[in-house]
Amino acid sequence: MDIEPFMLRAVLTALFLGPLCGFIGVFVTARRMSFFSDTVAHAALAGVALGFWLGLPDPTVPMILFSLLIAGLILWLKERTALLNDTIMALLLSGSVALGMVILSLLKGYRGELDRYLFGDILSVGWGDAALALVVLITVGSVLFWKLNALALLTAHSDLAHVSGIPVRWLNYGFVALLTVTVALSIRLLGIILVTSLVVIPPAAARNLARSLRQQILLSLFLGLIGAGGGVVLSYPLNLPSGPCITLTLVGLFIVSLLGGRLQRAHQYAP
Amino acid sequence: MDIAFRSQKSAAVEVRDLHVRLGGNPVLRGVNLRIEAGQMVALIGPNGSGKTTLLRCLLGLQKPDSGSVRLLQEGPPGPGILKRMGYVPQRLQLDPSFMLTVREFLAIRRPLTAGWFWRPSRQIDALLHEAVGEMDVTRLLDRPVAGLSGGQLQRVLICSSLLNEPELLLLDEPTAGVDTPGEADFYELIAEVHRRRRLTVVLVSHDLSMVYRHASRVFALNGVICCEGAPEEVMNAESLRQAYGIHFTPYQHQHPHSHGSHGH
Repeated sequence: MDIEPFMLRAVLTALFLGPLCGFIGVFVTARRMSFFSDTVAHAALAGVALGFWLGLPDPTVPMILFSLLIAGLILWLKERTALLNDTIMALLLSGSVALGMVILSLLKGYRGELDRYLFGDILSVGWGDAALALVVLITVGSVLFWKLNALALLTAHSDLAHVSGIPVRWLNYGFVALLTVTVALSIRLLGIILVTSLVVIPPAAARNLARSLRQQILLSLFLGLIGAGGGVVLSYPLNLPSGPCITLTLVGLFIVSLLGGRLQRAHQYAP
Repeated sequence: MDIAFRSQKSAAVEVRDLHVRLGGNPVLRGVNLRIEAGQMVALIGPNGSGKTTLLRCLLGLQKPDSGSVRLLQEGPPGPGILKRMGYVPQRLQLDPSFMLTVREFLAIRRPLTAGWFWRPSRQIDALLHEAVGEMDVTRLLDRPVAGLSGGQLQRVLICSSLLNEPELLLLDEPTAGVDTPGEADFYELIAEVHRRRRLTVVLVSHDLSMVYRHASRVFALNGVICCEGAPEEVMNAESLRQAYGIHFTPYQHQHPHSHGSHGH
């Protein structure tokens, strides 16, 4: 069977980023950071627009940098002001989307690009993106695995983590940076609007079936892999954008996990 | 006898003229405190008296505006000293979406007992049993931490804090989420741990009846230490009136309930 090169690039990128999003997502959901992930994803739009404005052929770098800038701003405002988390994130989300839209409107010929970044487009995934996804999978995955105990304790109780000698503040910053890079890079596949689904749905589905954190992480990795890979594969014959295909595959997996979890419990308590 | 002997020798906690302002309000106004090694001490006071702030200073979570904290004869709470201490918070911030089991929670506190990626094994369970068998958490090992009752969670939290074999154990309102019969068991357990391991225990509590029964020394806090001494000395109406600001006679209260609501 012949595989088109663009398809191979997209599938490989999905297979690299899907498990990574599933892994990091376990901590994102437990630390109630889904909205944070959504905010840095939306901030990427301004980064994309800035990239085009600067005349760059590939806006990946400004996209990641602008998302990191917004992530840093969220943390800074959280520490320095009395504003609530939700307020800070809503402010920065809407602000950066507005900035991105204004810049794109001023530039000519880029309106068509908007859809690609909003909903994901496998045709826009280059070999450079696939290679970057592999590098991010290896580095972010290794750091997460290396800091697993500390991250789990931080999630359980930040003061307890501090007392156990974990540099809570730096771990928090590091986690936010890794999450931001992972999310910004996944935008190629899922688009700004739907990218959070790959971070949130796999751990939620895994939770329905898992009986320990170890199982939850492994299942979430696996569901991220199936959801992202399956969605990309489906999007080509159906001629649909990859973002909605991945998200709907993940929603399907979530429903199956919900039913599976119920069956598991019914079996467990059966006489 | 051994505990008494040690207590004469060294101070586990020394606080001098500690001042802390939070949001412009003075919360601690010159706290002086000396807790001798091997004692089981209760820090009591009404809501807003600065108990939690003082505890946070001892844990290095709150920087004092002035004054000093010296722990275990070494210095202020830093990474080296914190390793020799245990801390039991009121509760965890755990979301039910996080499937951390008791076994995994204990493993993350002591990587020695973790195994490859928290893989459960009999060998690890045996190690845990050896370290904290007295706490009887073996039957809870496979349960998710987020699904434990208040009493079970407290047991697990103490268990995990004992894994490092601390010399000083700090407990913050440990029975806040525990039902009344559970409270009595809980304090018995702490007293047993204190006796067996000969560590210094500092209990922050507003539960006066339990404190009276188990603490070897009581400090009453209300911005400053208003009084300190053996439980029977401190629990007289005058000193408690200073701390809680009302007339209060603990001897008439035989039922174990919380007296925090008196403190306004």
